[in-house]
Amino acid sequence: MKKIIVEKLKYRYPMTGKLALDNLSFTVEQGELIGIIGANGAGKSTLCLALTGLVPHFYRGAYGGKVVIDGLEVIKSEISELALHVGIVFQNPFTQVTGSKLTVYEEIAFGLENMGLDRSEMTARIDEALHLLDISQLKDRDPFQLSGGQMQRMAIASVIAMKPGILVLDEPTSQLDPQGSDEVFKAVRRLAKEGMTVIIAEHKIEKIAAYADRVLVLYNGRLIDFDTPHKIFSRTDLLSYGVPAPVYTQICQALGIQHPRSGTYPVTLEEAYLAMVNQHGDSLC
Amino acid sequence: MKTVKSMSLYVPGNSIIHRLEPITKLIYVMVAGVLPFILPANPTAVLCLAVTLAMLTISKTLTKVIPLTGFTLLVLLSILFIQGLFHEHNQTFLFRFGPFVFFKEGLSYAARISLRVINLLLGISLLSLTTKPSDLIDSLVRRGLSPKIGYVLSSVLQIIPQMAASVNAITDAQRARGLETEGPLIVRAKAFLPLIGPVIMSSLIQARERAMALEVRGFNANRRKTFLRAANQSSRQTTIRILLILILFAAIVWRIFA
Ligand SMILES: Nc1ncnc2c1ncn2[C@@H]1O[C@H](COP(=O)(O)OP(=O)(O)O)[C@@H](O)[C@H]1O
Ligand SMILES: [Mg+2]
Repeated sequence: MKKIIVEKLKYRYPMTGKLALDNLSFTVEQGELIGIIGANGAGKSTLCLALTGLVPHFYRGAYGGKVVIDGLEVIKSEISELALHVGIVFQNPFTQVTGSKLTVYEEIAFGLENMGLDRSEMTARIDEALHLLDISQLKDRDPFQLSGGQMQRMAIASVIAMKPGILVLDEPTSQLDPQGSDEVFKAVRRLAKEGMTVIIAEHKIEKIAAYADRVLVLYNGRLIDFDTPHKIFSRTDLLSYGVPAPVYTQICQALGIQHPRSGTYPVTLEEAYLAMVNQHGDSLC
Repeated sequence: MKTVKSMSLYVPGNSIIHRLEPITKLIYVMVAGVLPFILPANPTAVLCLAVTLAMLTISKTLTKVIPLTGFTLLVLLSILFIQGLFHEHNQTFLFRFGPFVFFKEGLSYAARISLRVINLLLGISLLSLTTKPSDLIDSLVRRGLSPKIGYVLSSVLQIIPQMAASVNAITDAQRARGLETEGPLIVRAKAFLPLIGPVIMSSLIQARERAMALEVRGFNANRRKTFLRAANQSSRQTTIRILLILILFAAIVWRIFA
């Protein structure tokens, strides 16, 4: 089932001359985990906003083409209606704290109260989200007293608890240490397995390589490529679009270590190791 | 950003008073505050005060009242002093204190005002010391207050301390770069102008982002809102409320016909 359909999407922010999104077309299936990569200013955040309807409902500007999520055409739907289908977590966790709740637990409940869920459903979902993001121990803390990383996890939990069919994350791990980032990726991987469609704009290439089903490359607002991590990171011209391949891929490229059948290069440490053993098994032992 | 104090006066606890529904407490404060204006002032105020003090004691918040009311007590003391000396109907000599001569009329007038004010003040203290602001606002929203107004009320309590903290952070940054942020008022005023620019800018940007974040969490969803916190709708709460309102009603009737 096509969960997201983007057709010839163009968008320009008010009072700017340049297209932030330039003629994008692609589709996403339910349950896919999609990584969006690209240099600073490539349009990753803008695409995230367009997928949730905040562009153009909130930002205005010049908009063309079409975005359909869950069968709803974004431009013809209210944000409050879209909110039940697609959730978004922004880069800055601080501005996502509602500021009206005294504890993390109540903060996560905010969206659920607005959805009109009954109490038992609410507490079940909150506990589940707390557990999934590994922040159960923070549930009674004041949201404003959390560290950046803790706040970010709370922001993710707050949106996940609403169980949107589509989850959009804009650099969700920018405040997290490597271990914290890994946990967030594991959590969304699990959600995708359960059927949630997940879109992540992310700088941490190694994480995208390890977790994404497909990777979308943006450059100057244009879609350069949209394919499996292996295909994307095996492109030799990737760096000219401002994105480096994962170090493991770079090493394998330098050593000429490929997957024998597909001709692509390994993108994670495990793959690189296995490929090396296969190719140089004797000499490694 | 860390160690920001909340503006709430709430003292966590689990006493009977804490567990009363916020609206019940709100009704009590209003009834107790209004009664001395309807019934004979002094005895009524003393009675209400006694009840409020008893509840403060039960909820173990009595000691927290003093810093809250200190300033007002000082003002009331000076009213007692001035009225005792200079009230226009002063006639009956009461006592002499050094060069000051106190009269009965002025003192009793001031005492009447003071009792009413203290009564109201302690009532409000009781409410704010034993009730989470968010619970009170929740209850009001449940009773029909617009969720948007409720949000504004509760976020103001949290976000003002946040803004104060960001002013502090920027002051520190500017001090580190050599801007005068201490000393005479005029110097500080000059330093303040470049300071408010960044604060306002960052607040505006944050406000926009926060508005989006609220929006995608269904703040404007056209659904019947529910509440995480269970309403304490026991029949006892209802009885207390009805009783309070009956007392008020009886007082008004008495006032009209007596
Ligand atoms: N609020 C805005 N107003 C005007 N232009 C913006 C705004 N936000 C981003 N842009 C511009 O849109 C382009 C894409 O930005 P963005 O989506 O933030 O990129 P990324 O997230 O990939 O770094 C950039 O040229 C940026 O300057
Ligand atoms: Mg961005």
